[in-house]
Amino acid sequence: MSASNAALPRSAGPWRQAWTRLRRSPAAVTGGVLFAAITAICVCLPWLLGLDPVTTDPAARNLPPSPLHPFGTDALGRDLLARVLIGGRTSLLIGVAATASSVLIGVLVGGAAGLYGGRVDEVLMRFVDFLYGVPYMFLVILVMLLFSDTARGEPLPVFLALGLVQWLTMARIVRGEVLALRGRDFVLAARALGASDAGILVRHLLPNTIGPIVVYATLTVPGVIILESFLSYLGLGVSLSWGQLVAEGVAVVNPLRSYWWLLFWPATFLSATLLALNFLGDGLRDSLDPRSPAGGTSPAGDRH
Amino acid sequence: MWRPVAALAALVAVTLAAIGLTFSSATRTPADFRFVNGTEPKTLDPSLMNGQPEMRVATALFEGLTRRDAKTLQPAPGVAETWEVSEDGLTWTFHLREDARWSDGRPVTADDFVYAWQRLLDPTTGAEYAYFLHGLVGARAYNRGGAAEAPRFGVDQGVFAPDPHTLVVELEAPVPYFLELTSFFATLPVPRWAVETHGDRWFLPGRIVGNGPFLLDHWRVGDRIRLVRNPDYWAAEAVGLETVDVLSIEQPTTALNLALAGEVDWLPSLYPPELVDVLQERPDFYSGPGMIVYFYRLNVTRPPLDDPRVRQAIGLAIDRREITDALLRLGEIPATAMVPPGMPGYGTPTSGLGFDPARARALLAEAGFPGGEGVPELGILYNTHERHRQIAELIADQLRRNLGLRVRAYNQEWQSYIASTRALDYDIARAGWIGDYLDPNTFLDLFVTGNGNNNTGWGDPDYDLLLAAAANVGAASQDPAALLAAAPEPDALAAALAPLDEEVDPAQRTAQLRALRLELLRQAETLLVAEGFPVIPIYFYVASGLVQPGVEGFYSELSLPDGSRAANLQDIHPLRDIRVPAARN
Amino acid sequence: MGVFEAIALAAAFLALAGTAWLPSRALRSVGGAWAAAGLLVALRPLLGFAPAALLAVALGALAAWRLPEAVLRRIAFALPSLLLLTYVTAVLMYLAPGSPFANERAAPPEVERTLRERYGVPEDATAFFTIYVERLVVEGTLGPSIKVQGRSVEDLLLPALPVSLALGALALVLAVVGGVALGVCAGLRPGSGVDLSSMGLALLGVSLPNFVVGALLMILFGIALGWLPVAGWGGYRHLVLPAITLALPTAAYVARLTRSGTIDAMQQDYIRTARAKGLPERLVVAKHALRSALLPVVSFLGPAAAAIMTGSFVVETLFGIPGMGQWFVKGAINRDYSVVMGTALVYFALITAFNLAVDLVLAWLDPRVREAQ
Repeated sequence: MSASNAALPRSAGPWRQAWTRLRRSPAAVTGGVLFAAITAICVCLPWLLGLDPVTTDPAARNLPPSPLHPFGTDALGRDLLARVLIGGRTSLLIGVAATASSVLIGVLVGGAAGLYGGRVDEVLMRFVDFLYGVPYMFLVILVMLLFSDTARGEPLPVFLALGLVQWLTMARIVRGEVLALRGRDFVLAARALGASDAGILVRHLLPNTIGPIVVYATLTVPGVIILESFLSYLGLGVSLSWGQLVAEGVAVVNPLRSYWWLLFWPATFLSATLLALNFLGDGLRDSLDPRSPAGGTSPAGDRH
Repeated sequence: MWRPVAALAALVAVTLAAIGLTFSSATRTPADFRFVNGTEPKTLDPSLMNGQPEMRVATALFEGLTRRDAKTLQPAPGVAETWEVSEDGLTWTFHLREDARWSDGRPVTADDFVYAWQRLLDPTTGAEYAYFLHGLVGARAYNRGGAAEAPRFGVDQGVFAPDPHTLVVELEAPVPYFLELTSFFATLPVPRWAVETHGDRWFLPGRIVGNGPFLLDHWRVGDRIRLVRNPDYWAAEAVGLETVDVLSIEQPTTALNLALAGEVDWLPSLYPPELVDVLQERPDFYSGPGMIVYFYRLNVTRPPLDDPRVRQAIGLAIDRREITDALLRLGEIPATAMVPPGMPGYGTPTSGLGFDPARARALLAEAGFPGGEGVPELGILYNTHERHRQIAELIADQLRRNLGLRVRAYNQEWQSYIASTRALDYDIARAGWIGDYLDPNTFLDLFVTGNGNNNTGWGDPDYDLLLAAAANVGAASQDPAALLAAAPEPDALAAALAPLDEEVDPAQRTAQLRALRLELLRQAETLLVAEGFPVIPIYFYVASGLVQPGVEGFYSELSLPDGSRAANLQDIHPLRDIRVPAARN
Repeated sequence: MGVFEAIALAAAFLALAGTAWLPSRALRSVGGAWAAAGLLVALRPLLGFAPAALLAVALGALAAWRLPEAVLRRIAFALPSLLLLTYVTAVLMYLAPGSPFANERAAPPEVERTLRERYGVPEDATAFFTIYVERLVVEGTLGPSIKVQGRSVEDLLLPALPVSLALGALALVLAVVGGVALGVCAGLRPGSGVDLSSMGLALLGVSLPNFVVGALLMILFGIALGWLPVAGWGGYRHLVLPAITLALPTAAYVARLTRSGTIDAMQQDYIRTARAKGLPERLVVAKHALRSALLPVVSFLGPAAAAIMTGSFVVETLFGIPGMGQWFVKGAINRDYSVVMGTALVYFALITAFNLAVDLVLAWLDPRVREAQ
């Protein structure tokens, strides 16, 4: 299935082709730009404007959006704009860090399985099969509980827990790609020249599997962000993230009275990010990995 | 092409079959009265329960010697028709009514109470509320299980049944709130034969034998408990409801939506807290002071909180008005002491914890931390709940603003939170305490050195002495010197001790001893909130909820027999006395 | 975690991996034996020992003799997996802070000792695991729940399972029907406005958390319009809102699968042939394109069913539904150890069963797969 990458000469060619294809997909371009913009806003704006997400002001509780507080204020009179942006940093950090750790584990396990094949492959893939049968939320909750007395609302345990359950599909993809490539001429040549296993993996195999990895990673980030919001809903999340803000916002939207901005802003940022990443991921798949079935590598549903 | 279609059709068929299966037993007509009970009751065994959700169901299924009258919440005749107490207040005699029956037709006898109380105190039962009967002769020793010889409690100590309809109770010292205890769930009778036949599953539907106004009809865990009227209850005609649905719902939003859609009749306090001001304007909303204190524990074993000045500074820097007036808005009372107002005859101690940021800064500087410098980041631990989160984050910011401290609020789910507080693995921890009975002692005895609920690391021999003296005031008054030495305000205590030297009649003497007891408790509380500061009281709760208009027999404010009004401090509404308009049945 | 735990974990895992090397004949006997053992444990409480043993041995022998090797390999793999899962879960639970016997009001130590004894929850993970497995094998019970007294874990899960199955199956049907419709519309005209808007609509399902969608539906249809009950369980109408909420993320995924399947199919030679023969476009799509477009959807049904079943805890919490999902969250949060173990085992068995069923259905649907096996 990786023939499209490996068959092409290893020049700028395939990447340029992919780039051209990607540019032609308006959804992917919009997704990419939107994601970059949201990330830039969350990272830079609080710093540029000196936004403060913690100072309370009981006189300014639950204010609707106004020039002073463009997103309104929350139940303790804190500026919602600041909270949404700082919370966004946490959510994006968790999304990216959990994905990065899942890529790391997935590439190591999948790469080793594919490269060595045989018994190593069997043992590692049995382990992956085993974990596939375990309900992932169950593992996440158990791991979160392990950290519950030391975490103090920090994001580290959350992305560790989520990273731990997200690498399985990545491992399978990498294994499949490596398995298909390892008999090819350039690998055999490198091996004949005395390259080590690690060297072959890093220098020859991974560069040729980077397409599916990037695609899958792009689609893992939104999956992780939404899982984090479930944890927040259950009270196991971090102290300030989009998931936490959305969970708070849902509680105050009611037919009796709605502080709509408390749900609207975090939910908008959350959805926009998820939509952007999903569109970008779909576009990347079409351009980098055109033969794979849509969703064949999507984390949205298969790891449940 | 036909194969995928067949597969889909098969899936649909399986779906419909599965759905039919789940409804066959669950579809039923709505009950006369439906209320949200919060968490699923852990058990319906009166000896083993420990919370409000269990209590609401237990008092419908069982009836104790006395029961609470809905209008006054005073003990009213239950299984006991009349009772009397000896002059020294140590012996209570209850006369049980002849027509009280278990739901299997057996008469309710004094032996059922003896059995239930023995079982409650039996250390192998594992009853959390066993200490409720510790005031009975021989009870504590039996419960602690140290004695190797055969237990004497219920045999020749503590409680006896001279005949099937007479129950005699012996106390070690007069307990002013003893009659109240006889309506509490821990003292309800238990059917020995059901327990012996079915073991720890005797309270499940089909097995349970009760003697209360209602019977258990159906119990689907995670959904509801269905109660139906007990036709054999001795006052069956006084019961107004045919069926009651007790719903287990834990999500505040869901619970409120059910109430707004008219799908439940009573919603006690489980609603999104932010909506309190809108809800307050509705005719179906009720609220009143509750016998619950919201406070923060300080871990006195951890520097710099081992310095009472630092602890006091933190207490002085919290602006409770900001919390009650701006955030809570239900008329919660800012608390600077542990015992809620409304305890008859009890005077509130002078507290050293009122809001005074200037003094707080001075104290902190005196302790060696001017402007908060040198204090490591402190954590406020709270159990996961929206309201606790808001209060903790607000207080963290107040401490930052008023003292320059760095404070982080963080949550843990319930079991981790309990583990952390037990292990003193926290700096500051949120806590709440519900009074079990109308007496200051229920709030004060947890801070005795080594009490399992102390959880602050704090202990003070003077405090222990004062509380021990209050528990047996007659004996303690023989040694006034020791008491005066322990008291933080000896003059006030001396004033309470003085009248004991006079010759008076027994009734007056009882009143004097009662006043002395309350003064001893007040002195103890003074140690807590003016000298030791292991805890920082924040506010006293307000009990609130929604109840559909037209529901009768539901009193959010009590009318006492003497004509005065009082708050329904524990938000207790006996189902026996509730009625709904006939049109709804 | 102690040394013993680590060694035990490694050993269990090696036993698991070892099933991959079993030669064909050994596989047949091991698979048959384990199928018989599993059946015995499951059937014993229902039938009594002797009839269950007879039936189990008969079925096990039948399985060893008749079942395809791939299926036997799955069975051979499943049993040690269950043991490993039980052990890992026990170790993780004991590592987590807190205990099932801690309450707000402290109990004296003798009370806790009594309770630990009564519920078979000693202070050490391995001892707990031993008691648990022994009880499971000898008595055929998943153990008593600690927080819902008087009930065993199967008392809790058995009534909850059909509720979750009903909700999950309805959601799955909704997801497949809705997702396929959207996906085909999008796939027939890739790149068009129809494509973009269908996919945008489908993606909305994965871009808002369940609890937001559910809460909004509840307010709109339950309160504002009053068409459906707000929450709870009791009639068919109670099922609608939670099923829709639960279906959305899966529908989005099915839509994407169908879309690319349709795009692929429409480029195939046989479609061109069908068109060239002058078949109306509607028939081309219905007869030829859909068939191959749906194959990936069917193979996704196994994971999707598992996803919907295990992903329903948020929806069940929100709508107050007495299903399985609540136990897995409540069990973990309450440290109700037996409940956690029980739900983990049941979910693992369900997921394995779904995947097995989908394998069999796929073989039945697609001749190519059948031959490959």
